[in-house]
Amino acid sequence: MIEFIGVSKAFPEGNHAVENINLKIEDGEFVFIVGPSGAGKSTMLKLIMREEVPSSGKVIVNGRDLTKMKRRQVPYLRRTMGIVFQDFRLIDKMTVFENVAFAMRVIGAKQSEIKKRVMAVLDLVGLEEMASRHPSELSGGEQQRVSLARALVNKPSLIIADEPTGNIDPKRSYEIMKILKEINKMGTTVLVVTHEHTLVNQIPGRVIVLKDGEIVKDTAQEYYAQREKEERKSQAEISRFEESADTQQENIGADEEINGSEENEN
Amino acid sequence: MYFLKEGLKNMTHNRMMTLASIGVLIAGMLLTGTAALFSMNVKLMIEEVGDSNVTSVYLKDDIKSEEDAMVIGEELNKLGNVSTVEFYSRDEAIKEYREALGEEVFANMQGDNNPLPHVFKITLSDISKYEETMAQVMSIDGVDSVGNRSEVAGKLTDLNETVTNLSFWIVIALGLISLFVISNTIRMSMYSRRFEISIMKSVGATNSFVRIPFIIEGMVIGFISGIIASVIMYFLYDVLVSALNNIFVLNAIPFMSVLVYIIVGFIVAGMAIGAVGGAISIRKHLKKEGKEVLNW
Repeated sequence: MIEFIGVSKAFPEGNHAVENINLKIEDGEFVFIVGPSGAGKSTMLKLIMREEVPSSGKVIVNGRDLTKMKRRQVPYLRRTMGIVFQDFRLIDKMTVFENVAFAMRVIGAKQSEIKKRVMAVLDLVGLEEMASRHPSELSGGEQQRVSLARALVNKPSLIIADEPTGNIDPKRSYEIMKILKEINKMGTTVLVVTHEHTLVNQIPGRVIVLKDGEIVKDTAQEYYAQREKEERKSQAEISRFEESADTQQENIGADEEINGSEENEN
Repeated sequence: MYFLKEGLKNMTHNRMMTLASIGVLIAGMLLTGTAALFSMNVKLMIEEVGDSNVTSVYLKDDIKSEEDAMVIGEELNKLGNVSTVEFYSRDEAIKEYREALGEEVFANMQGDNNPLPHVFKITLSDISKYEETMAQVMSIDGVDSVGNRSEVAGKLTDLNETVTNLSFWIVIALGLISLFVISNTIRMSMYSRRFEISIMKSVGATNSFVRIPFIIEGMVIGFISGIIASVIMYFLYDVLVSALNNIFVLNAIPFMSVLVYIIVGFIVAGMAIGAVGGAISIRKHLKKEGKEVLNW
């Protein structure tokens, strides 16, 4: 969970500041942060990553007040987040596999674990076969998927994507967003900063609009209502499934059936 | 293993700077080594010289013949505190000079043209009565002066002190220069890898994890410098010993007996300077990098 309580951040140059932001993002949400450049979108992300410390107010991530966090704890905070950059930030000397593995290696993961996990995430983003290629041999969309795989490889509870589709064509952009949506369905909170309204309209999610450092619009209520509706729908499906299962096999316990249906969903 | 590999990779990034650091470090080590070996040998010399109570008795210039000299030798022998008397003729002396310094210079200084006096080398049985005995020696007719080797010892001590003081400051200066060059080398390799560092930081690598390859880079530079400096020192030592032999003929400390200390000393010092140099530059960089993870 991410919480901003009366957060302001001023910069000496005056740009990119945010002013009195109050915000709560629950686990598992899919959030768009939109707004013109200089509105403070990136500043918000930096505050969440503790790249910046607010001038006043509090930023709380997963119950921890970042304003009170010690410097040496910051790396451990970042391990709970995966970051996707607009310019991909891939190391061209390394293969796709190594780029993704790099993120695990630098936090001290074991080699055997790295092998298993990297292939799994490359599979998830559909780049299994590109593992031994170098980033420069890939298209923009593919590079961004590598970057996504790298963000995912350490199993973060939050994905932060800063203009993830800024450098790729619309069709590929939609693919990236679909993958992000998939990741979100698995329970990861996803935060996307973008200025592409078409994407925002195509993908359902909570939309926070920033202007001059202030939140001018937040579709939280509609988003929650929508989510609740979806949940009810899937709940209904589960119970319908249960009922039919009950009638077919009366001897099986209810717990096991729920487990079974959850697996089906995934 | 990962760290070592990364550290070595860093070194090849900036070959010129790496070589420069190695060069400066070697220079520093050689100077330190030379000064240390010089000092050790001079101390050994001083001990040798100081321990022996041999005193040279120089005869007056007008005593040319060895027969005349022998008369004085007899008188020296009669003195109570003198245990041995050894004659050292002016011909012998000039011959030695000629051998040591070259035929040409002393070619026409033979026979009557020899400017050197006859010398007796006497040993005293009781060195504490030195002053008294010397007064008696001086009173013998035909004795010009007495020279004590403790004078040589005194000069050597002075020389040793000068060299030690001078080299101390030069070593300090070179140490600082090495530190500066190494930390700059590492700063450059850090600069060329700033992109990777920013990615490392964004995925949550700890500062020490980022730091270690650079410190290893510094230590490897120090290690290589130490090895090379040891080898050069081995050859340089011969030159040093022959230079010292011009001042005073001595049994120099054999290089092999100090070899281990030299190698270990050089390598440890090099690695320490390298590690400190690496730590200095990365510390600054990481503080800055903290604000620039995303480069937005």
